[in-house]
Amino acid sequence: MELNIKTVDQLTVVEPLGDIDGKTAPTFQDGVLAIIEPGSRILIDMSGVSFMSSAGLRVMLLTHRKATGSEARIVLVGLNENILNSMTATGFINFFTVRNTLDEGREALG
Amino acid sequence: MDKIDFSFSDLIAGYVIQFDEEKDSFQLKTSDGREFSVKFAANTYAWIANNLLEPRQWCGEQMRDMLVPGRYLFTYGTFYQEHDAFNFEAQYLVFPGRKPGEFLPEKQDWWVRQIEALGEFYLKAQFGDEVINYDNYRTTITLTGEKPLDHFRQETDTISRLVYGFASAYMFTGEERFLEAAQKGTDYLREHMRFVDLDEDIVYWYHGIDVHGDRETKIFASEFGDDFDAIPAYEQIYALAGPTQTYRITGDPRILKDAEQTVDLFDRFFLDQEKGGYFSHLDPITLDPRSDALGENRAKKNWNSVGDHAPAYLINLYLATGEERYRKMLEYTFDTITHHFQDYDNSPFVQEKFYQDWSHDTTHMWQQNRGVVGHNLKIAWNLMRMYGLAPKEEYEAFARKIAKVMPAVGGDSQRGGWFDVMERRLCPGQERHRYAFHDRKAWWQQEQGILAYLILHGILKDEEYLRIARESSAFYNAFFLDHDDGAVYFNVLANGVPYLMGTERFKGSHSMSGYHSFELAFLAQTYTNLLITGRPLELYFKPLPDGFQDRLLRVSPDILPPGRVRIEQVWIDGAPYHEYDAEGLSVALPQSEEPLQVKVVVAPTKD
Repeated sequence: MELNIKTVDQLTVVEPLGDIDGKTAPTFQDGVLAIIEPGSRILIDMSGVSFMSSAGLRVMLLTHRKATGSEARIVLVGLNENILNSMTATGFINFFTVRNTLDEGREALG
Repeated sequence: MDKIDFSFSDLIAGYVIQFDEEKDSFQLKTSDGREFSVKFAANTYAWIANNLLEPRQWCGEQMRDMLVPGRYLFTYGTFYQEHDAFNFEAQYLVFPGRKPGEFLPEKQDWWVRQIEALGEFYLKAQFGDEVINYDNYRTTITLTGEKPLDHFRQETDTISRLVYGFASAYMFTGEERFLEAAQKGTDYLREHMRFVDLDEDIVYWYHGIDVHGDRETKIFASEFGDDFDAIPAYEQIYALAGPTQTYRITGDPRILKDAEQTVDLFDRFFLDQEKGGYFSHLDPITLDPRSDALGENRAKKNWNSVGDHAPAYLINLYLATGEERYRKMLEYTFDTITHHFQDYDNSPFVQEKFYQDWSHDTTHMWQQNRGVVGHNLKIAWNLMRMYGLAPKEEYEAFARKIAKVMPAVGGDSQRGGWFDVMERRLCPGQERHRYAFHDRKAWWQQEQGILAYLILHGILKDEEYLRIARESSAFYNAFFLDHDDGAVYFNVLANGVPYLMGTERFKGSHSMSGYHSFELAFLAQTYTNLLITGRPLELYFKPLPDGFQDRLLRVSPDILPPGRVRIEQVWIDGAPYHEYDAEGLSVALPQSEEPLQVKVVVAPTKD
């Protein structure tokens, strides 16, 4: 999995590319946790992720926990149907703000 | 100033020394040898403790004739303070049997009838006369068996505990509706509460779900004070209680797979490979017991995380499978308890909370340096179960030690029954251990006392243990059964009067669900019939086609000492069946396309 992180219009945009599973979750974790700072606004574009395993789900929760503790805001966009279903079925979806498109995500982050 | 110079009412439990017809009074000696004079009042009345759904038998004038020496009874009355002394006058008497020396809970089917009544109560409370559907399950059940109607929380471990109850009720009665409730509950837990972690190849269980109409929200980590934002071992352990008891009946391989993968969770994440034992909490995200996010629960071990595996599911999993893996794990937990929990240089109560290196944690949340009476008794009970599998001297010695010290510090020798939470140590100037919160008596702690002393007597044949078992059982059956609304009370006051306040007024709550009362009935009847009174016991199973490995149905109701019990008769679908190993307590099931109805009679081996 590749992880691209860039700043666009004062938002941090994270673009994981590839599966997030037991092998790649640490890469995602290290990259995303490092950019969560007090007040930061982060858009995670999941459109390049086709599969997320339970390790991926857990790392998303860890991201949520750090963001909450730092008063940072995170919005997920571009979730495919499978990932959306597994996040809904496991209840993890309730922790996140989810939007369909990048524009809607930017709007949600103000 | 400190003199008690007022009248008050209270309960005395004891053995009749003699009845004085002339004075219309009798002498009573308590369990610890103190004597009281009891005078009949103008309106004293008496009854014989009746089972659930049985009519009460009043004694009338016959009560005086019943006061023969040696007979045990409870008498509630008033201590009138007069002439610089107390005169006790009885308001009512409760007898635990119809005849001298008789304790009705020792009847061949007392507890079978009780578990049936409990099962009926909870079926009706949860599902009414409708089709059994766990969408309608509620954690909260009121005193009278009603449910709240607005949005609600369904907790994994309370559903699982009730499923345990229904499964146990089926094993004693063969009543199909109990099995249906157990199976549907197990399916519901699998569908709604189970998280299969494919990366780790483990299963863990959600704390619960919130249901708002058709919408369901999963609650990942515990939301209760002690366990907030963590995966407590306690909840994972009890998530298996109901499914495992159901597995004993059906052999459903899906349940076995869940149990195996949950045990994998314990082995890989809760087990402390370095210092031994099981951690009490995991970080729900990293599955790390040493995560700083766990706060006060970081890298801790406690009674529940080590000791609750055995009674909640592990003994039953072993009974159903005979797997060496579970026998070893059982032995490991009991060795750990025996090695680390005894603290008799400092307290008559075991130590229950630990840091990772097994040093004592005496500051944890509400527990501080306090002992739960029922946990001590539960250790004695379960050590004696394990003794049937591994008869180690240290297990017997530890169980005997608890049995010896607990009546004086956790039992009520004045009124009968067992207290709740006690301060483990005396402060300077104190002679009696203090109640940590109150002197009420909880139903589940009575269970531990009854089962501990029944199995201690059943195996070791010490008459003192039988006496305490009888007294404990008499108190429970006299005061905990709710003859008006059904099932059992959560708490009674020290004097046996029901305590009906707050959540302790409920029959269903986060803390009470339908586990301990059923477990007590299931095992009290098992120990009584098979280890004490020498009577047979009927058991019912309904194995799925090719459910159990090698189609071998193991039928021992509990771990019992080898050679003490054998199969007497087996029926399959109503017809006598002979392919069984009487001493090995197993039935070789025939091939079948449908679930089989199996009825087994087990009985004590004749000397």
